[in-house]
Amino acid sequence: MNLLSIIWAEVRKSHRHNFNNHLVYFSLFVWPAILFINAYYAFKPFNLQAGSPLARFVPFDKLGLFLITGYLAYIFFWSLVQSAWQMAYERQQGTLELLLLTPVPRIWLMFGRAAANLIEAVWLFSAFSLLIILFMGGVHVAEWWLVPVAIVLLVLSAVIWGGFLNIIFLFSRDAGVLYTLFEAPMEFFSGVRMPVLAFPIWAKSIAFLFPLTYVLTILRGVVMEGKTFRDLSGSLILLLGVLTVLVIASLFLVRVAERHAKETGNLTLF
Amino acid sequence: MLEARHLKKYYTVKEKTGWFSREKQLIRAVDEIDLSIDKGEIVGLLGVNGAGKTTTIKMLSTLLTPTSGTITVDGTNVVEQPNRIKQQVNMIAGGERMLYWRLTARENLMYFGKLYGLHGQTLTERCRQLIRLVGLDEAADHPVERYSKGMKQRLQIARGLINDPDYLFLDEPTLGLDAPVARQLRKTVKDLAKVRNKGILLTSHYLEEVQELCDRVYIIEKGHLLLHGTPERIIQTVVNIFHLQAVVSGQSSDSIWLKQELEKRNVQVSVKDSDEGKLLHMTASFDMTASFIALVAKQGLILKKLEATKPNLEDAIIKLAEESHAS
Amino acid sequence: MWASFSATFNRQFMTMRRAYPWSFFIGHILDGVYIIIFAYLSYHFIFQGQLNKNFTSYTGTSNYLSYAMIGGMLNSFSVSLLMIVSRMLITEMREGTLEALLLTPSSRQGYFLGAAVQGLMRSCIEMIAIFSIGLFFGLKMVSVNALILIPVLSVFCFAIFSQALVLGSFMLVFRDTYITQNTLFVIMTLVSGVSFPPQFLPGWLHTLSCIMPLSYGLNLFRGVVIEEHWSGSMTQDLFLLFGLGVLYFIAGSIFIKRTEKTVVEKYFG
Repeated sequence: MNLLSIIWAEVRKSHRHNFNNHLVYFSLFVWPAILFINAYYAFKPFNLQAGSPLARFVPFDKLGLFLITGYLAYIFFWSLVQSAWQMAYERQQGTLELLLLTPVPRIWLMFGRAAANLIEAVWLFSAFSLLIILFMGGVHVAEWWLVPVAIVLLVLSAVIWGGFLNIIFLFSRDAGVLYTLFEAPMEFFSGVRMPVLAFPIWAKSIAFLFPLTYVLTILRGVVMEGKTFRDLSGSLILLLGVLTVLVIASLFLVRVAERHAKETGNLTLF
Repeated sequence: MLEARHLKKYYTVKEKTGWFSREKQLIRAVDEIDLSIDKGEIVGLLGVNGAGKTTTIKMLSTLLTPTSGTITVDGTNVVEQPNRIKQQVNMIAGGERMLYWRLTARENLMYFGKLYGLHGQTLTERCRQLIRLVGLDEAADHPVERYSKGMKQRLQIARGLINDPDYLFLDEPTLGLDAPVARQLRKTVKDLAKVRNKGILLTSHYLEEVQELCDRVYIIEKGHLLLHGTPERIIQTVVNIFHLQAVVSGQSSDSIWLKQELEKRNVQVSVKDSDEGKLLHMTASFDMTASFIALVAKQGLILKKLEATKPNLEDAIIKLAEESHAS
Repeated sequence: MWASFSATFNRQFMTMRRAYPWSFFIGHILDGVYIIIFAYLSYHFIFQGQLNKNFTSYTGTSNYLSYAMIGGMLNSFSVSLLMIVSRMLITEMREGTLEALLLTPSSRQGYFLGAAVQGLMRSCIEMIAIFSIGLFFGLKMVSVNALILIPVLSVFCFAIFSQALVLGSFMLVFRDTYITQNTLFVIMTLVSGVSFPPQFLPGWLHTLSCIMPLSYGLNLFRGVVIEEHWSGSMTQDLFLLFGLGVLYFIAGSIFIKRTEKTVVEKYFG
């Protein structure tokens, strides 16, 4: 039994189970598209003409590109929160307990779940973003090979983040807490809709807790600012550092969660 | 009296056949059912899953509007005056539904009582009485989520009685309960009908329960009324096979004589040797016990063992199910 | 109606006391707070206080911070109240108590009203929390005239309550809360002028704001507390808001009545 076969099994299950209802595309496409439009118009009350102070962080003609790359990366992370919420249903139906009865290593199961849901969740919005990017223009790439690297980094970080959330969910009975603590602040502080560089220190220090912040710096650096591998190496090292910390935390937490569940039997409670 | 005439309930269900295509299907959940319930009477409603029992109960309790047909409660039409009927009927379903888990038993009853327009001293007093009736005095002020299944079920009964209904519909009330709890519940149900003069309609998967409690039984199948009568009548009509086993001492010739005599009376007989004498196994479409004993006495044989197996309601339902399956 | 109002109020109150819905509570507050922080950071740190000329002409104020913060505050309040009322019946359905409720000859309006008034307590606490945080980030109210504010807020609550009835029946039809409610909320936040005047939007999107009680509520509320004067257009807004509330109320009551029946059929048939 290897990680790939677990992922494949999860892909098939989640395809039948989570994507069977087309309404799910509201949350994966319609909402982020509207959020993107909302974020764009939220800047309208400000001075966006030549000489705007915004230009210190984002060239004002690239505001659209800045926001769409932000929401593109965000949707990767966001879709995995939703897949973590599915755990709540599995918990209610008792299938979560059954999953943990199987001999699959827990940590694989948690990351496998995250990976399995990703592709199906993000393809539509990714295609939309690509169209918007082509339409708006303004892409500036220095080293083209960095584009696939940035995408791989985005996927990898999202899966690690998703697995981490899945594990948090082993503890909590309440899906809302997850959203409140991990998700909403991420959209806000990771620089999805505002340049992190403009933040005051306290807001920056929150921003640097989220892997999405580094992923966005790299993604935007590659496609908007024409940065080279050397320019981005600092952010890359930081991102890998944060991801390592998350993986170690996940490994630790999954053990604690299982021990906790065995003692209190709380997996069947919901 | 509660009376339903030519009751029908049809649904259209949209079946998904592809990404965007759907097919409409007409489902006849209840099709031409007549039934009546008198006060003080327990009436059973039987049928295999999907027969239309729950739909029927939902219509009687005003939750569903019939496609056609009439339901009257003591002369009042259910469709025309639902709010008046709601005061007179109530429904209790098995399982753990229909209660607010975060409220206590008393709070649940108070809430529903108010929704029935009760208030003040009357309401408090009724809640107290009902809590005592179902034996929840000690747990009355604990949240329902801490209750056992049986306790929740008893609270359901209390909720069903909050408006002091004349007619009560019980949908699988003993589902998933332990034997002693279920027995206690059956006693309560019997008292409700016989002592407190309520008309009760009962559906249950436990056929012994139905046989024990019900004065009359309706058997429905795929929305149609199949049979109606007392449990005994139904058993007689459906299952006309009686079994009798006996051990008699005596000569082989005696048992041969017995066999011949019985076969003259349309009883099938097989004879075997056993330690104590001859073992006879008899099958007939009527109860042959009396004739058999008379024959044994006439010949002066000694009867060592006699065992009659009467068919029960379960045999009847199984037979009906098999027949309908075959047709 | 009074009986089912007070019964439902009490029941909801006891449920809230026993199991406070913390995640919704904190979530609503944070949603409001993020709009506040967004306004604060953008205004001070990104744009250094430089506004678009059109903003002042559309809104009649140059106080962007208070404009956006009140937007966030009232938006959270509406979302909270909409959720509390609209989710009532579907929650009963999920918890298996819907039939028991429908069995009783009680008034549905009283039931919803009881839930709404109880929910209002929660929504108000949330709003006060957002308000206090807003003060910290520079929210300024020029005047707080209770004589005008109370009737404005009452009409606003009525309109939101009525909108919740319609939303609730959609939830019953779709058998879903999550997608239905949030789809409404993202559209509502976009078109109602929460963090920018809807006049910036393309015309067809702008017209959508006409069916959102929130957009009238915001005009009125901002007019009262930031601009400190009552204009003819505000009187018009108040009447439109009330009219919209009545329309939603009628539509909602009819829809709910109808969907209740079909839900019992679909669910148990």
